[in-house]
Amino acid sequence: MADKKAVGQSLPRIDAMEKVRGQAIFAADIKLPGLIVGKFLPSPHAHAEILAIDTSKAETLPGVRAVITASDVPDTAVYNPASRFHGFLARRFAVFAGQAIAAVAADDLATAEEALDLIEVTYQLLPVVHSFEEALRPDCVPVMHGSATASGDSTAHTQVIITDKNSAGSDEEIDRSPNVADENVFSHGDLESAFAQSDAIVEYSYTVPTVHQGYIEPHAVTAHWDRPDHVTVWECVQGAFDARNLIAETLGMPHGKITLNSTEIGGGFGGKGEGIFAPLAVLLAKKAGRPVQLVLTRQEELIGANPAPCSLIRLKAGATQDGSLTAVEADILVDAGAFPTGWIMSNITATLRDNYRFQAWHLRGREVLTNKASVTSYRAPGSPNLSFAIESHIDELAHRLGINPMSFRQQNVIRKGDPLTNMEPQSPIGAEEVLAALAKHPAWTQPAYERLGVDGLLHGRGLALGSWAGGTGPAGALAILDAGGQIRIVLGTVDLSGSFTSLAQIAADAIGTSYDQVVISKASPDFAPFAPMSAGSQTIYAMGAAVKEAALDLRAKIFHYVAHDFQVNENELGVDEKGVYLLAQPSKRHAFETLYQLGTQWFAEYGPLVGQGSAPQRQRAPGYAACIADVTVNPRTGKVNVNHLAVAQDVGKAINPLLIEGQMQGGVTQSISMALWEELLYDQEGQVRNPSLLDYRMPTAGDVPMIDTIIVEVPGGDGPYGAKLVGEPPMVPAVAAVANAVTAAIGARVCDLPITPERIWRALHRVNSED
Amino acid sequence: MSDKVNSYDLNVTVNGKPVLAAIEPHITLLEFLRDTPGLSGTKEGCSTGHCGACTVLVNGEPISSCLMLAAEADGRNILTVEGLSDNGDLHPIQAAFISEGGLQCGFCTSGMMLTAIALLETNPKPTEAEIRMGLSGNLCRCTGYHKIVVAVRLAAEELSHGR
Repeated sequence: MADKKAVGQSLPRIDAMEKVRGQAIFAADIKLPGLIVGKFLPSPHAHAEILAIDTSKAETLPGVRAVITASDVPDTAVYNPASRFHGFLARRFAVFAGQAIAAVAADDLATAEEALDLIEVTYQLLPVVHSFEEALRPDCVPVMHGSATASGDSTAHTQVIITDKNSAGSDEEIDRSPNVADENVFSHGDLESAFAQSDAIVEYSYTVPTVHQGYIEPHAVTAHWDRPDHVTVWECVQGAFDARNLIAETLGMPHGKITLNSTEIGGGFGGKGEGIFAPLAVLLAKKAGRPVQLVLTRQEELIGANPAPCSLIRLKAGATQDGSLTAVEADILVDAGAFPTGWIMSNITATLRDNYRFQAWHLRGREVLTNKASVTSYRAPGSPNLSFAIESHIDELAHRLGINPMSFRQQNVIRKGDPLTNMEPQSPIGAEEVLAALAKHPAWTQPAYERLGVDGLLHGRGLALGSWAGGTGPAGALAILDAGGQIRIVLGTVDLSGSFTSLAQIAADAIGTSYDQVVISKASPDFAPFAPMSAGSQTIYAMGAAVKEAALDLRAKIFHYVAHDFQVNENELGVDEKGVYLLAQPSKRHAFETLYQLGTQWFAEYGPLVGQGSAPQRQRAPGYAACIADVTVNPRTGKVNVNHLAVAQDVGKAINPLLIEGQMQGGVTQSISMALWEELLYDQEGQVRNPSLLDYRMPTAGDVPMIDTIIVEVPGGDGPYGAKLVGEPPMVPAVAAVANAVTAAIGARVCDLPITPERIWRALHRVNSED
Repeated sequence: MSDKVNSYDLNVTVNGKPVLAAIEPHITLLEFLRDTPGLSGTKEGCSTGHCGACTVLVNGEPISSCLMLAAEADGRNILTVEGLSDNGDLHPIQAAFISEGGLQCGFCTSGMMLTAIALLETNPKPTEAEIRMGLSGNLCRCTGYHKIVVAVRLAAEELSHGR
């Protein structure tokens, strides 16, 4: 065994050296001989029928190598109007402003932009569905054109789930509006009597606006047809296998004809899952006969590149005088933009009440289509939205009952075995533990400031709990004993958040060697076993399990050969960073390098040493985090300052505390920003009014405080060395902790995000006029 | 044969080495650095001067290279991320970003480090608030800035010991 275990150590990122030296190759850094520039023509209209496209002038501009429209999409691709992937190029209808109508490839960017100006499109404008109200009107205009299914069924794929046969969720509740893409209903218990026995009932409606994932690196993709029927793609995506699927599906290509190289990725946060622009580059490169690179501008990102959905959550919940939660009723609307997401609304509806024990619930969620950019995941997709609602409500109930918000949560928090909304028992979780960790933290035990400080500012402290169920695999990996005695882990995973460092730590301990001995080799799907998308916080949990299994398999094979060679039993052997040795006589050993030679030289007695890991789906291991925010509000300007923030998170087992702290601090900051600053503003024409980083306000270093992190380790799940999910849980509670702190400070609740100075002023004004 | 109107003879020093190039006059310093000497460590995040990913030092001043024409840099000294670790030794800011976890995806890192170097040049012992204000032209979406602040503080200590 190596001197020191790697798991549990705060090691710097495995890729830090190339990144601080500017040597890491991101997608826009790919250069190929003959590379030309791709650029798409965005629809100026949020909803229009395309009557004609004349590309003739653009095609004759010197330097233009290809112009494509929907007519260039191969017939082998089966078009699905309900898939946002197929919306990469508008067909007969443009359904959101910014959707690509055509695209060009040219020798340089200036020529490409000039060519776009020469494309003449004749549009028939259609009414724009820009809001929930518009979308749900009885005489609404349908956003989706064409039927979602081959059978020609209605575009809405309504789904009703009833979890208690004695309760509501009746057939009449099905919303058959053409703009309702999906509907979920969960009911349990006797709602009416549970509300009737409540001593406090709170009803509020909470809105969360459309926000953007805000990765600093824009989408970038390069496509090169190296053989007549084969394309190689370099792209910044979170899932290489998923990106390959997307190209195969949208262009009707066999997977074997696509080599997908995922490059370094400059942030994704859910927004770069499959990469939705690759089909444009692939088609352009085919037609141009040259490699094509397409890099989005920030404006294109903010207008058209899949932000996170806005939501409206109408919430009613009750509790009794002794502090027991009774019933919760929710009506949830999620704006998916122009294409269904399939599951963000479902996540909100199905997990809204999962952090607390309620006797009865009725939760109804609808996913609504509008003429806006299609939405996708953003770090714990939907959960900050639901957290803002339910955690505001929990605080409000505690306030009305005169109960401390910490003890109110501790009394009602869900525990192992309690029924979830889907009636499955809750897994072992760390919800109580993260609350307990904060309850004894100075951020909570210090006496609260006087609400109105001597500084003339309003002070407030807020608490919130959040959770995220996350992804659970499956995943595959290989462990190879390589030249020089290195342990080479081959996998198809994208390192989104430092995961390769932790995976190397896992492999080192599984073999029993040192961290420095391990190399992680990312391979394209051409060379690697299946890897799930780096999303849902599953990389360490699921891919880590596969890496551990591969490493253990390699170790077993090494031991088998050495035992045979030494004529001993395998249990008589030990392993350290140099190789495998006889426990009774440590000088009798085979170095890893020797073992590599013995398995690869001519006349070798055995084959090369290769271990394989094929990890099935893991058990659920939901991640829990809780936050305390300390804010001041200037009553004259409405400006909020977050002075301090503490976050506690259950990670099961901390594989790399340094990197986990970084995830916690980053997630919390995005969540604070959602509370206070970020909003993509759409007007009635469906146009984004603030598509720049000046007007779409992401936090700078000057906006946020130092963030205290408390790592809690509660057993649960079946991840490697006890690890659970890390990346997303901290994103969930901070938004609500800030909102609760602002409420404590100003004595009024702002139910619409972001909590702008104007909204604070209005809330203060409302309270004062009531006084 | 060079087109006199559409060509500008640029003479700059990049990372201590002279670079002479006939460039198109409209290209930005960012485009020049990435395309001509091939220094792709300088990143483009927005092309409008808001994100700071393209920050380089021009005569020691942090500049959004997406907003400066290459021709405007004529005769000046440019420092990019590639110039920070000559001879293989890391600059203290690089070492601190590594050890303190001051980077995650790495896309903002070049610009962030160069801004920090310029900050420490003018203010060798900044407070936390001064570090935060000094870095507020550079967006980072991954770290929440906490570990960047810690890294800059460490680099400040390292650099002041060296003086």
